[in-house]
Amino acid sequence: MMKTNPETARHDLIVVGAGPAGLSAALTAARYGLKVVVVDEQHDAGGQVFRQSPRSFEARPNAALRTYPFGAELLAQARNAPGIEWRFGSVAWGVFHGADDGRVKLAVSGDEQSCLFEGRHLLVATGAYDLPVAFPGWTLPGVMSAGGAQTFIKSQHLRPGKRYVLAGSHPLLLVLAEQLLDAGAEVLEVAIARPRPGFGELLSHLKALSGHAGLIGQLGKTLARLRAAGVPLRFGTMVSRAEGTDTLQQVVLTDVDADWTPIAGTERTLRADSLAIGYGLLASTELARQAGCEVRWAPAEGGWIVRHDARMRTNVKGVLVAGEPAGVGGAELAHLQGRLAGLTAVDEVIGGAMPAVGHEAAHEAVALERAATEASIRAARGFTDSVVRFFAPRLDALANLAAGDTLVCRCEEVTADTVRGFIADNEHVSDVNSVKLACRTGMGFCQGRYCQHTTAHLLAQARGRDVSELGVFRAQVPVKPVPLASIAALKLPD
Amino acid sequence: MTRNALAASRSPDAARLTDGVTRPAPIHIVVNGQPVPCYPGETVATALLAAGVQVFRRTAGGQPRAPVCNMGVCFDCLVGIDGRTNQRSCMVRVTDGLQIEVADDEDKS
Repeated sequence: MMKTNPETARHDLIVVGAGPAGLSAALTAARYGLKVVVVDEQHDAGGQVFRQSPRSFEARPNAALRTYPFGAELLAQARNAPGIEWRFGSVAWGVFHGADDGRVKLAVSGDEQSCLFEGRHLLVATGAYDLPVAFPGWTLPGVMSAGGAQTFIKSQHLRPGKRYVLAGSHPLLLVLAEQLLDAGAEVLEVAIARPRPGFGELLSHLKALSGHAGLIGQLGKTLARLRAAGVPLRFGTMVSRAEGTDTLQQVVLTDVDADWTPIAGTERTLRADSLAIGYGLLASTELARQAGCEVRWAPAEGGWIVRHDARMRTNVKGVLVAGEPAGVGGAELAHLQGRLAGLTAVDEVIGGAMPAVGHEAAHEAVALERAATEASIRAARGFTDSVVRFFAPRLDALANLAAGDTLVCRCEEVTADTVRGFIADNEHVSDVNSVKLACRTGMGFCQGRYCQHTTAHLLAQARGRDVSELGVFRAQVPVKPVPLASIAALKLPD
Repeated sequence: MTRNALAASRSPDAARLTDGVTRPAPIHIVVNGQPVPCYPGETVATALLAAGVQVFRRTAGGQPRAPVCNMGVCFDCLVGIDGRTNQRSCMVRVTDGLQIEVADDEDKS
């Protein structure tokens, strides 16, 4: 039965997400003596990028730790950090504000108990997930997200499937191809949607690449490995549909032009049991949006992302954001932003611009650390922005892949015909939430995470308007399904 | 017994990797009444895929589903776990004797 901690636990900083951003914030804050709790749905620290093997396994460390050396340090520090409370296997499902004291309250449910954390600051460091793409057959068993296939391999040491096609536009796809080869899979083709980059384009990105020799070297090795294994890497190629009875049997690919529009007569069929899709990432902003944080539409940076100032503060008092929900920028940027957010929380406790007595030294240290971190962020930005531009997904073209009977909403099984029909019949509708209410897209288990952007693009196309003008699905409590008992068990503020 | 849960005759496409990893002693979960070997630290999703389960659940419309995101977002790997329906198998770790209910494909064949 659900046990509830009747005492609300009070902290200086509540962190949601134990990836690079969350870990870095928690460690920074704890270093200055703040009382910190970190909540994550996974069973260990690292987030998706540094997801670790189970502690009961003896395995070599996650390969991403070689690409991002700071990751190993973060994980080691997290393991030994005094003063940080960890809540793994726990869902953070609602943010509340006490009218009384201005503190932020976070509802959290684990397997056995739920509780309400109360903090001066809440950091939303909820990461991102693979961009869902609604093409015919995308719900067939055997069709996975690139990140999903990758985490099975790298943290569970399981190869899910044998004969793979990889389709997308994100560099993660190349990393996955290599990991699949190492795992004994056949990789039939890596289909990259964007056109093969010309020399001029590569040159324009070169400037941004300085200082990232490790990453570039890694990519070079990966490409060589694919070549040696005879894996075709084709640009200007996109997934058209997945076919099979009950499970994936074949993948149809098509050539596309520079706008990712399929070229008639170029379809090819490959027999495969697995299709990994990696067209980009969407920022996980549900918790931030439920908390009342303003978002802005930034398609190349993960869709709707949370607005924030230079200190990672959102418009909601006490709520900070870092990492992918602040704009998808990768592990390095996330970890630097996390540190900034941690310093903001520290500042508040030690007295901000007017250091409290006894905190003068800490105040100076925070200012120095902030300046250094901001400089590192400026340096990282050039690289991140370049990569983001280079691999930006064409969301409009991807939304066009849906045929009439393709499910836009996997959970409630709503087809593109239903959505397009409703939009055509109701000319006054110009908000995605109206579509959601009428068609039930976004009202199922995943609460719109998998259909929000397809729905938005279908509406945008029908109205000839930009997605940014059509709103974002409202995020409601609980932002992830939790047992009713865990909601009832908490004395929630009004 | 479900066709796809445990058919020993069929070599599953999914496979546990053995290179560079040492697992603890195996335990068993119980899938639709049949014991399935697995290792502490694995998720239920991993144990099911390794056992050759390809269809984890069926939707209201009868469509087959299996894990997509492996990080708790897609809700397509839902199975019954110890009497609780619609649990995300990618987020729950195996324990000895854990009772799992997956889609029964007898209906389909």
